[in-house]
Amino acid sequence: MLGTQILDGLTRFGSLYDAAVTRFGGRARPGAARDALWLDVVERAQVADGVVSLRFGGPALPAWQPGCHVDLHLPSGLRRQYSLCGDPGEDTYRIAVREVATGSREVQALRVGDRIQVRGPRNAFPFAGLGPVVFVAGGIGITPILPMVHAAARQDLDWRLVYCGRSTAAMPFLDELPLGRVDVRIGRGEPLLAGASPGGAVYCCGPATMLDQVRAEFSSRWLHFERFSPPPIVDGRPFTVELRRSGVSLEVPADRSALDVISDVRPSVAYSCRQGFCGTCDVGGVRICVDRPTGDRLVLEEL
Amino acid sequence: MEPDNLVLQPRDVRFDWSALPMHWVPDEPVATHVMNVLHLLLPEGERWFVRTFQQAVPLISDDTLREDVLGFIGQEAVHAEAHSEVLDHLLANGLDPRPFTRQMEHVFGRILGPRAGLTASQAREQLIERVAIVAAVEHFTAYLGDWMLNADALDRAGIHPVMLDLLRWHAAEEVEHRSVAYDLMCHLDRRYVRRARTMLLVAPVLFWLWVRGARFMVRADKSTKARLTWRETMRAGRRGLLPRLSEIFRAFLRYFHPAYHPKQEGSTSQAIAYLASSPAAREAH
Repeated sequence: MLGTQILDGLTRFGSLYDAAVTRFGGRARPGAARDALWLDVVERAQVADGVVSLRFGGPALPAWQPGCHVDLHLPSGLRRQYSLCGDPGEDTYRIAVREVATGSREVQALRVGDRIQVRGPRNAFPFAGLGPVVFVAGGIGITPILPMVHAAARQDLDWRLVYCGRSTAAMPFLDELPLGRVDVRIGRGEPLLAGASPGGAVYCCGPATMLDQVRAEFSSRWLHFERFSPPPIVDGRPFTVELRRSGVSLEVPADRSALDVISDVRPSVAYSCRQGFCGTCDVGGVRICVDRPTGDRLVLEEL
Repeated sequence: MEPDNLVLQPRDVRFDWSALPMHWVPDEPVATHVMNVLHLLLPEGERWFVRTFQQAVPLISDDTLREDVLGFIGQEAVHAEAHSEVLDHLLANGLDPRPFTRQMEHVFGRILGPRAGLTASQAREQLIERVAIVAAVEHFTAYLGDWMLNADALDRAGIHPVMLDLLRWHAAEEVEHRSVAYDLMCHLDRRYVRRARTMLLVAPVLFWLWVRGARFMVRADKSTKARLTWRETMRAGRRGLLPRLSEIFRAFLRYFHPAYHPKQEGSTSQAIAYLASSPAAREAH
């Protein structure tokens, strides 16, 4: 155990060290920030009912691996994430977008020659490249899976794909799947993981109900799925958050968190899980990513 | 094709310690306690990482790096809590870790905390120095994480499965986020001198804290007569139950190589494969 003397010694050493560094350590020489990517739409195609694929080109695109997505910064200010579904060897990025709401309609409206700001690629669904492997894709969920299937085929892994959709007309990229054990299904009545190896991997991308079914059937070794952002706030009520130290009051609407609203005006506020478990955004005992007041006012003394 | 540019997210893991024996490497009290030092150092140490990085967020001018740092902070915060639950279990079973952890609070809270009376630019330099200290520690956590993921001897020794899952889940996340602290340090200060001097500071202090911690644990454990000796530690190292000192020393030297980058340590594929098979990580949504 450390004696008090040693602790005192350490404390003195710490003070001396800090004094030396802050006085004689010289000034930090910062590194550069990465530049934003501005890419051009070089190809646009209808690849299934309601699904449009877009290909972006630009100088020196950063490398990517299966499972990567990019963030599109749309002219309206919306940001949307799309999985890259082309070939990592190509010098363009390809995405595929199903029309669901405002954001996807705006992306589908892009035309060849339009220029757009893109951030990434980032990977929230990495492919470890170990087999035997079963891929399970539902509808537009084929987009991150497609490059994985090609990678598995190239690496000669023992692979199979279960690809489900409402109808073949609504399922993109059926014509691009490699030859092999592809099981195209309309609807999801049958077990998804029949024949999966107990020592193998399962990669799933599709609607939440599909992931639930995969979890229930799973008895293999590795389960990979994309981790999504926190679920939408459904039963919230609007309130006012008062930042005492800054003397600012902000209105928090029913479908947003205090963190969402505060980080709009203060981008450097720290947070991480956005689901209330990690505690990074804690301000005086309030986890601003999830906590809402019982009344209509939340006071944060330290912000 | 090694995956890169990972989105880092904390995982809401749960562990059940109710069946954890005192010597969770069966019949190996010394190896158990040398690894128990993780639980002594990490809760306070990682909470200090979190505070330091929270203070550094406003200095970041790169959006992608800021996202990485926020993911790192969340993962470290969850690590701290998970290890701290092991300490609660030890306390409930008659091994009181508090004399040691109180001192860690002093080390990480007072000695390594922000200082009063500095000018704005001095405070900034001191903060960047602490970020560089975290980067040096993270080099060792990446090394240890990689070791832990590959330590088949632990499986053969019949280590308690819940503890093995905690150690390997933590190891895998350390490998997953191994570049973040280093990238943040380079973003704030790319000078070699900062990297080198903080490693020279960190390595001996960390080693010394570890020896102190292990000695404390072995003494505080009334259920064994075993003593922490070099011979005993070397024996466990040869059996693969602990990392070997010579390997740790080589890892220390690698940090000084001009072309060093944390990506060269460990394997991202192996880390994500473990996370896909970890009972705790798989259950965490």
